[in-house]
Amino acid sequence: MTISRKCVPFTPFERELSKSTIAIVTAGGVHLRDQEGFNIADELGDLTYREIPPDVDSSQLMVTHHHYNHKDADEDINVVFPIDVLRDLESEGFIGGIARKHIGYMGYTMQLKAMYEGTAREIANDIDKSSRADAVVLTGG
Amino acid sequence: MAVQREIEMKGIPTVLITVSPEVSAQMRPPRALYPDGFKIGNSLGKPNMRDLQKKVLRDALTLLTENTRPGDTVTRAYPDYGEYHEPPRVRKGI
Repeated sequence: MTISRKCVPFTPFERELSKSTIAIVTAGGVHLRDQEGFNIADELGDLTYREIPPDVDSSQLMVTHHHYNHKDADEDINVVFPIDVLRDLESEGFIGGIARKHIGYMGYTMQLKAMYEGTAREIANDIDKSSRADAVVLTGG
Repeated sequence: MAVQREIEMKGIPTVLITVSPEVSAQMRPPRALYPDGFKIGNSLGKPNMRDLQKKVLRDALTLLTENTRPGDTVTRAYPDYGEYHEPPRVRKGI
C-alpha cells in the first residue's frame, strides 16, 4: 500500500455516542502481565500486537516499551490505555458500551513497510472482525 | 498513524489522542485531539487524575460527532494538567 499524504481515509460517524461501543488501540506497548512482553532488545522494533479483553482488571496491565518514559503508566495504566475511564463513561451513559476486544502494540519500528502493510492491516482486520466497535480511540505518539 | 488509517478504511470511525502533534500530523490522521502540552506517556493526563482523564476522553470521542476536517488536529487546553506537580524530593546527606 502506498500512503498518500494528501488522501485521508475518513468514515463519517453517524451514530449517537450514548449508543456506541468503543474500542481502544494503543501504540504505548500495553499488554497483560501474563502475555509475552514486546521485544525491546531488537533494534528494529517488534511488529506483533496483543489482544486485550474487555473485562480486564487494569492492575493486570503493564507496559513494555523503551522509547518513552512509562513511569506514569506503571502507576496508572489509564494515562495511555483508558479502560477504567471508558468504564466510567459507560456508567454515566456517555457511551453505549465497551468493545469486545482492545489492542496494544509497540509504536516504534524501523520496519515501516512491514508495519504499514502487515501489522496495521492485521490490527484493523482484527478490530473489524471481532471487536464489534462502532468507533475506535487511539493513543500514542 | 498507519493503524488509524487502516481502521478507518474498514469503515470504522476513529479518533487519535496525540501527544506528538508534529509527528502525527505527517500521517494526516482522520481525526485527532492534541491536549496542549501533554507529555509523551500522558495521553490522558497524569496518573489518578480521573476527572481530567474523563474530560480528555469525552472531548476525543465528541470529535467523532463534530464537523472536523480530515487530516487536521484539534488542540484543546487542559489547565488542570499544569497544576499537577511532583512533591519536592528531599535531598539526603546535606
